[in-house]
Amino acid sequence: METKVSGNENRMNFFEWFKHKWTTAPLFSTGIALIIMIILQTLVLGFDYDSFGEWFQAWTNNWINILRNNAGIGIVALGMTFVIMTGGIDLAVGSTLVATGAFTMVLLDTGTRGLLGMVGLSGAPAFIVTILLVLLFGYILGALIGVSITKGNVPPFIATLGAMMIFRSVTQHFMQEQNTTVPMDFLQIASFKIGDYMLMPIIYWIIIAAILYYVSKRMTFGRQIIAVGSNERAARLSGVNVNKIKLRVYGLMGFLVAIAAVIQVSRIGSMDFSNAGRGMEMDAIAAAIVGGTSMAGGRGFILGTVYGMLIIGVMNNLLNLFGVPPFLREAFKGMIVIAAVLLQRKERAS
Amino acid sequence: MNLEMKNIVKSFGSNDVLKSISFALEGGEICALLGENGAGKSTLMNILGGVLQMDSGSIVVDEEKVFFDKPADSQKAGIAFIHQELNLINDLPIYENMFIGREVKTKWGSLDLKQMYQETKEIFNRMNVDLDPNTMVRDLDSSYKQIVEICRAMMTNAAIIIMDEPTTSLTDREIERVFHMMNAMREHNVGIIFISHKLNEVMNICDRFLVLRDGNLVADGKVNDVTTEDLARYMVGHDVRTESLVREREAGEEILRVEGLSSYPHFSDIHFSIKAGEVIGFTGLLGDGRSELFQSIFGAANVSAGRIYLNGKEVKINSTHQAIEAGIAYLPRNRKENAIIKDMDIIENASIATWPKFSRKGIIDKQKHHETFEEHRNLLRLKMGKLTDSITSLSGGNQQKVVLAKWLATSPKLLILDNPTQGVDVGAKEDIYDIILKLADDNIAVVVLSSEAHEIIRVCDRAVVMYHGVIQDEVSGEKMNEHTIMNLATGGQLT
Repeated sequence: METKVSGNENRMNFFEWFKHKWTTAPLFSTGIALIIMIILQTLVLGFDYDSFGEWFQAWTNNWINILRNNAGIGIVALGMTFVIMTGGIDLAVGSTLVATGAFTMVLLDTGTRGLLGMVGLSGAPAFIVTILLVLLFGYILGALIGVSITKGNVPPFIATLGAMMIFRSVTQHFMQEQNTTVPMDFLQIASFKIGDYMLMPIIYWIIIAAILYYVSKRMTFGRQIIAVGSNERAARLSGVNVNKIKLRVYGLMGFLVAIAAVIQVSRIGSMDFSNAGRGMEMDAIAAAIVGGTSMAGGRGFILGTVYGMLIIGVMNNLLNLFGVPPFLREAFKGMIVIAAVLLQRKERAS
Repeated sequence: MNLEMKNIVKSFGSNDVLKSISFALEGGEICALLGENGAGKSTLMNILGGVLQMDSGSIVVDEEKVFFDKPADSQKAGIAFIHQELNLINDLPIYENMFIGREVKTKWGSLDLKQMYQETKEIFNRMNVDLDPNTMVRDLDSSYKQIVEICRAMMTNAAIIIMDEPTTSLTDREIERVFHMMNAMREHNVGIIFISHKLNEVMNICDRFLVLRDGNLVADGKVNDVTTEDLARYMVGHDVRTESLVREREAGEEILRVEGLSSYPHFSDIHFSIKAGEVIGFTGLLGDGRSELFQSIFGAANVSAGRIYLNGKEVKINSTHQAIEAGIAYLPRNRKENAIIKDMDIIENASIATWPKFSRKGIIDKQKHHETFEEHRNLLRLKMGKLTDSITSLSGGNQQKVVLAKWLATSPKLLILDNPTQGVDVGAKEDIYDIILKLADDNIAVVVLSSEAHEIIRVCDRAVVMYHGVIQDEVSGEKMNEHTIMNLATGGQLT
């Protein structure tokens, strides 16, 4: 009898615990949603295999595909989380991607126009110099946006809308009819195989997510971002250099986009400057929002954005497995974003 | 028109804001409504304007009992409330503003601009206002905005107009213009309730006065029978606690000296200095510029002229983090807007100002912050749960103590407290006074900005009284009493 009563209590406690977590822990509902997606995806993949080993092989392959396909945008979404946490937005990430991507290719071009080739650099030293320069270029592009927002007082939406048009247009102009190719060895950066798997993009994503998670939790910069986004006046009156923080956040955004650009160039060896990165800003914002980041600023989670990116990635994969027509897929993404915000509303209301 | 408010009672929770107020107002009368902050003036007027509902009592207009559930009811009864922050739309011309919410339409359903223009022109003629109805409201100065509001009220045939501190942001010439207008309305037999802190103006324009103190009507009479000193005494009352906490202290080295500091239009030509271990009060009424002055010293706002010396050396402080490094701390007024970061927990709110100082290579030293916070926690008598609880879980008084802890952690040499007891209960208030005196004993220079004169008198060694952005005078010792301070704060001189 006694055990039964206590078992009952335990069940009660579980529900209470669940309800408590649901209403107080910010990433709880997002985590549950992710688990449900994973279970669904596993079920849809089916168990129609000869052995467990074969099933596991297929499951792992599927997962590696999901992670690798979303690594670049996942990295961008991490920066977007910081941007949104300051109360801003960055619409220019797609255009920054092609600008930095184009820069990468111009530096490395195997033809006569390769800038590094001209000074006699090639092979690994050239790759390292390229990457450093491209990351610096990304940071500068982001910081330029940051300057117009802080010094020029241009609202982030407008500043980045303008930058979005400028960066892509200028890139396309300079890159038209240019036939640039990067050295095959450069592709190793993304395509280097560990065992039988191309894991490099995933590893980059994990490392960056881990660093930014630490920054957001423990470092002055990360905590000051929250202060700025939550109450800019109070932050300034507490000695936070609001402009410096914003400038660095947009710079970091550009830096991360440059990483995504290097990954993309080294995955396929080229970039379509008119279409690459189109809609990337919306996907990054969607991932951050599904992960619990508030558009009003002050509230955001690096880990949540990783969850959000995975939820969207798994969903795309599911739609693929289900054979949903391509044009309808965006609709599902839209529903997920709205549903996520509705769930989080409930969280805060109770 | 004849207005009577009878036995009006209103409380918010356990706080009795109005304790049975009764008064009457005739048409053609300008009546001043006076009282310190929190005396209940706004509550009373909001009830009359239909913004708030009374708990009991009655309002009688022309012998007829009326009920105001919403502002529109009050307007229908002929009462117009001109709020301090004017309700005009900058991007529309005057004549369209005059008809917001009751636009004149043509038979086609479009706006009848011509008709609206004509009617505006007529009322301007009737009131002797020299304004082109086509002017954009954006281009008007504050006094003309007031006048447009008044005309709008006249247009709705308002018989009683409530004006909430209309002259605070106006220059002397602009004030003249508004007074001229008020006189014109008096001739049109309109009754005016004039809320103001400036007693000279009251003497100048009003016929009658009402004084509220702690929710009671303490005086009602003709302006001709009294002096500004009388009014100040009515406002302050005799029963304020004046038990002083000030004690003799050796003042140390000079910490801060300010010479000729100006920032148009907030303050101009400010001179003062403060020594270590001194508690100095800055007081005045709304629009005196004291907050702007100290925000400028703290680097949160610009100055147009003047010099600031810290420890005898001239400094240029352009940002708040520079100020903190220089040893200045500033606890702002309006805690919710200016100090509390609601997305952060208690310990983060208490440590944000020292993040750069207590960190290694950008990594926050949590241990060090905890230790510093614990150090001050006893002194502050802070009642709280866990360090990681949300800041909003605390009462106003304890929130303020957390903000204070933040500034103590910076080990300031100069601590500026702007309205430190705002929204703080009585017990916490006393705690904060104790802390102020303790800090002064520890040789910190403390500046207390407050609109409550008795607070200044209780804790400060001397008081600087500001009026419209200039230092009216400085008082200490015997002279530092509420009557003198109120007299100076309303533009009077030391006698």
